[in-house]
Amino acid sequence: MSGDVRKKQNKRWLEELLAGDHEAFARFVDKYKEMVFLCCRTMGIRDYEIEDVASETFMAAYKGIRRYRGQAELSTWLWTITYRKGIDYLRKSGRENQLFVEQDEKLAERRNVQVSAELENKEQADIVWEAVGRLPKLWAMATVLFYREEKKVKEIAKIMRVSQNTVKTYLFRSRKRLQELLADVV
Amino acid sequence: MLFESISMSVIKKDKFNIMLSHALQEHSEPVPADFTDRMSRRIREAEEQKVLARVVMQERLALAGCIVLGIMIVFSVAFFPSVVANFKELVETSIRQATQTINTIQYGLYLYAVFTGIFGFAVYGFVDLLVGDRWR
Repeated sequence: MSGDVRKKQNKRWLEELLAGDHEAFARFVDKYKEMVFLCCRTMGIRDYEIEDVASETFMAAYKGIRRYRGQAELSTWLWTITYRKGIDYLRKSGRENQLFVEQDEKLAERRNVQVSAELENKEQADIVWEAVGRLPKLWAMATVLFYREEKKVKEIAKIMRVSQNTVKTYLFRSRKRLQELLADVV
Repeated sequence: MLFESISMSVIKKDKFNIMLSHALQEHSEPVPADFTDRMSRRIREAEEQKVLARVVMQERLALAGCIVLGIMIVFSVAFFPSVVANFKELVETSIRQATQTINTIQYGLYLYAVFTGIFGFAVYGFVDLLVGDRWR
C-alpha cells in the first residue's frame, strides 16, 4: 500500500473517529489497547485492576474524542488521558506514594538471577523491563515514554503535567539507576 | 547525558541508550483477547443508556407540564374567577378579531401559510414527544 493511500485512509479513519463512529472507535481501541495497558502497568497498577482503568480510559477517550483538535498526536493525547486516570486511581486507592518509591526487595532477588543467567535478546529485554519496573513509577513512566515510545521531552512533560526540567531530571536519574541495576547485563 | 533537545539520532549514539531503547521496544504487553469487543459493547450500552435517559427526561417534562398546567387552571378557577372570566373574554375577543382579520385580508395565502406552519409544528412537536424515539 502506498504512503498516499495510507495517509488518506488514516485521515478518513480520524474523521470517522471524530464523528463518533463505533467501528472507527473499535479500531482505535484495537490499535492503542496495548499502549494503555502498558501505561497502567508502568504506573504500578495491579494486574487485576488494569482492565478497569483501561476501560475507564477508553470511555473517557470516547466522550472526549469530539474535542480532539489534533494539536498533539493521537497517541500523546491518549497517553495523557491514561496517565491521569492512573493517577486518579492510585489516589483513590491510597497508593499515590508508590509513584516516588523504588522497590528494593525484588531487585535483590533479580540480581542473583542476572549473575547466573546467560542472556539472549528476549531475556535481556525482560530483565531491562523488570529493572524499569523497579524504578519509582514517575521515572519509569518518563523512561518508557522516552525510550520506547520515542516521545520528545516536551511531549512527556505535557503528558505527565510537569516541567521539561523535571522530565530531564527523571530521565537522568532513571538512566543512572538503570546503569547500576543492569551493570551485569550490559 | 543531557536530555535537552533529544531526538532518536542522539540516543542512537550511546550504546546503553540503544540497548535500553531496543529492550523496551521489544517488550509486548499482554492484553485480554476480547478486550476490544467488550469495550465496543460497553460503549454501545452507554449510548443506549444516554438515549433512554433523554426519552425518560422528555416524558417527565411532558408529564410535569401537564400537571403544572392542570394545577394552574384549577388554582385560577378557584381563586381568581374574575381573571378566568376576563381570560375567556380575551380569548373570545381574540378569536373574533382574528376572524375579522382573516376576512379583511380576504383569505390571504400568507396567513394560511403561517397558520399551517404553526399547526404543523405543533403536530410535529406532539408526535415527536410521543413516538420520536422510535424514529431516531
